[in-house]
Amino acid sequence: MKKDRKYNIKTTDKKTLEKWFRLMTLGRLLDDRAPNYLKQAIGWSYHAPYAGHDGIQLAIGQVFDRETDHLFPYYRDMLTTLSAGLTAEEIIYNGISKDLDVAGGGRHMSNHFAKPEWNIHNVSSSTGNHTLHAVGVGRALKKYKTPGISICSQGESSVSEGYVYEAINGASNEKLPVLFVIQDNGYGISVPKKDQTARRKVADNFAGFKNLRIIHCNGKDVFDSMNSLVEARKHIEEKEEPVIVQANCVRIHSHSNSDAHELYRDDFELNYVREYDPLAKFRRLLLRYERFTDEELTVIEEEMKQVVKIAHKAGMAAPDPSPDSIHDYVLPEPYVPEKYTDGTHQFEGNPMKLIQALNETLKAEFRHNPDTYIWGQDVAHKEKGGIFNVTKGMQKEFGKERVFNAPIAEDYIVGTANGMSRFNDKIRIVAEGAEFADYFWPAMEAFVETTHEYWRTKGQFSPNITIRLASGGYIGGGLYHSQTIEGTIATFPGVRVVYPSFADDAAGLLRTCLRSRGLNFYMEPKALYNAPKAATPVPDDFEVPFGKARIRREGEDLSMITYGNTSHLCLEAAQKISEEDGASVEVMDLRSLIPLDKEAILASVKKTGKVLIVHEDKVFSGFGAELAALITDEAFEYLDGPVKRVGSTFTPVGFNRILEAAILPDTEKILTAARDLLQY
Amino acid sequence: MQKIAIVYSFNTMKTSKIAKRISDAFGKNAVEMVNVEDVTPKQFLKFDNLICGTATWFDGELPNHWDEFVPELEDMDLSGKKVALFGLGDQKGYPENFLDGMGILGDILEAQGATMVGFTSTEGYTFESSGAERGDQFIGLGIDFETQGSKNKERVNGWVEKLKLEFQ
Ligand SMILES: Cc1cc2nc3c(=O)[nH]c(=O)nc-3n(C[C@H](O)[C@H](O)[C@H](O)COP(=O)(O)O)c2cc1C
Ligand SMILES: Cc1ncc(C[n+]2csc(CCOP(=O)(O)OP(=O)(O)O)c2C)c(N)n1
Repeated sequence: MKKDRKYNIKTTDKKTLEKWFRLMTLGRLLDDRAPNYLKQAIGWSYHAPYAGHDGIQLAIGQVFDRETDHLFPYYRDMLTTLSAGLTAEEIIYNGISKDLDVAGGGRHMSNHFAKPEWNIHNVSSSTGNHTLHAVGVGRALKKYKTPGISICSQGESSVSEGYVYEAINGASNEKLPVLFVIQDNGYGISVPKKDQTARRKVADNFAGFKNLRIIHCNGKDVFDSMNSLVEARKHIEEKEEPVIVQANCVRIHSHSNSDAHELYRDDFELNYVREYDPLAKFRRLLLRYERFTDEELTVIEEEMKQVVKIAHKAGMAAPDPSPDSIHDYVLPEPYVPEKYTDGTHQFEGNPMKLIQALNETLKAEFRHNPDTYIWGQDVAHKEKGGIFNVTKGMQKEFGKERVFNAPIAEDYIVGTANGMSRFNDKIRIVAEGAEFADYFWPAMEAFVETTHEYWRTKGQFSPNITIRLASGGYIGGGLYHSQTIEGTIATFPGVRVVYPSFADDAAGLLRTCLRSRGLNFYMEPKALYNAPKAATPVPDDFEVPFGKARIRREGEDLSMITYGNTSHLCLEAAQKISEEDGASVEVMDLRSLIPLDKEAILASVKKTGKVLIVHEDKVFSGFGAELAALITDEAFEYLDGPVKRVGSTFTPVGFNRILEAAILPDTEKILTAARDLLQY
Repeated sequence: MQKIAIVYSFNTMKTSKIAKRISDAFGKNAVEMVNVEDVTPKQFLKFDNLICGTATWFDGELPNHWDEFVPELEDMDLSGKKVALFGLGDQKGYPENFLDGMGILGDILEAQGATMVGFTSTEGYTFESSGAERGDQFIGLGIDFETQGSKNKERVNGWVEKLKLEFQ
């Protein structure tokens, strides 16, 4: 029964009760004061008041152990983070976006409280996507056999997100030490929870999941919340499986300061949510059970007002972030190869296929660094390794702990990579983002999120992940086995994008990716995996620095700037032109799109005066548009003709080979364009 | 018959109405109204026959006025006491937690040794699950203003007649 539980108004020691009352009072003073900053045009333009969630938020912070745990609070979790140890100053610095904000120096929206230093993670505004991160770090806790749990908190409505289901499914399947707290206030902004899911209590939707306990509690009650979370934690630690706690709360105020709840809640409701104020209840209990006198509580309330006053002063005096700092922390410094400084070599061995270069480099890097992991769909079988066999033999050599299959849930694959890399900075993750680049779209959310981390935390967290994708067409694959998605990917700051076209570069770039901090997007032209033309000798220790293009053929009359599958088509075209037209064409394989080797591009343009940009992706809005703009902007005076582009038509890629050929670039199309250009 | 306490929150709307109706059915002198908001254990324990009334709030919760008294209840010895419960709920709006509050209160009182009386049939109610169910009966009287308000009178009167026998 209830009275056997650890915390109770009659038996909990006075010091603990006082600590709670202090925190709750302080929290509410800050919560109530936050709107003033907006009214006075100081800041805190986004504030989601927590009043009504006091019990559960206090409890989350109290069960969180900063020595061992990871906490993923959401935008309403002010008291959670205070209770976990943030100071009033830290709350205000975040609220008014000061440089001293420990979450990330005012880069992230207000009311997103965090302290990465203590593993109180800086999370997205994207409702509930931190469930994936919490599960990812839970995986690391388990793999490294460290004590501690991962705690994730969110509202009940955002549980509707598909990734939340993916996260809970994964935690249940992998039996991870994750505590999912659902703070149920009945609304997602103005939408009542009945419009989200059929059950009143969304946690019960997961009742059929194995290895998962579901606990309900009264989030408006300090004791029930504390006891439930203590019980949840114990269960996670003893049973080594996740727990969901759904806490019943009320939302006393509007969703946020851009919402007016009077428009959709009647007076009856507005009144009863106020009557159920958890802080008022706690205070009543303290008095009714004679644990404190009214005078004692009033003294604490006055003290807390002083704390807020002092914090406010500190906030007002704190410096703003500098506009000059915006380019800091987009990406961490990469690994810089010492031996192969420009990413070329003179090694003359037997040619190795591109797929073998990938496989051997992965293995070599996994031997080199024990904190490397790889997962994806189908990557881990005894005799197989991925549908293309890139990871063949890896599970055998490195074991199931480091090489394992993922569910068909791309968002989960990438989102948990993000989460797992939070465990420590030594970890390097290779995520086969999807079986084909075409199926990466469900992971876009997790991808975008991951591009933000380093910048948003002001360099406090670097997701050290390489996302590999079998990309591109020329295999008769149709709409869903031919896509090449770098045009989209390269629009996001916070990721390096590489796209090799030869075995040696594939090996060298992969090694650099795996040794670097930060997020790398590694596109593999799958049509070249086994192509003899892409096979090259590969030095064992080859490395290719990021942002170094490679001239695969020198020339004087025209520059072809390309990457991926079309590198080979350009080389064929260049050869033909030299044989048939007597002109000399330079073929530059960019290898890296981000960072881009601007210097090499401009040098080549200045030399030849004519540029043909060739890529497999669509011409319209393809990456080549950026290259063309760059060249006209920075080398216009050197141009002897228009910057021309060859790529796919603005259509999907058709399955019938006749359609595919009409859509994708080929040597003929490149030749025609190059010859036109040579006429200028 | 000894005096019966009707314990409930005086600040409620509908629960208060039912409490009055019950009181009327027993006759004013047979009962004493007790406000759970400020009742002390001593006052509570004065009675051997009690009727406790509670609504259910927030998807299956005991309202604060009862919840805040629970720590006292949990330290009481209620053996020898006869307790009847009435609960208010909304079977249409909250079919997953219909009358849960009454069930929660019943569990606590029973655990402290009270003899529960005044069980009623669940027939005539439509819901998915209820914490107040004990076999095919409710642990007390179920009242639903929202969907079956017209049955209140008949339900209360029938129940009180039954209680008069059980509270001997
Ligand atoms: C926010 C809210 C939640 C409720 N939750 C439940 C519930 O879970 N189960 C139930 O049977 N009735 C529920 N009800 C219905 C009330 O129990 C019912 O309206 C009752 O008559 C209220 O009595 P009172 O006015 O005396 O408090 C809820 C009502 C409200 C307003
Ligand atoms: C992915 C995503 N979709 C929509 C939004 C807009 N949005 C912000 S808060 C919110 C409601 C979330 O409700 P709930 O999860 O119940 O949490 P609460 O705010 O009620 O605490 C929505 C829809 C968002 N931030 N992210």
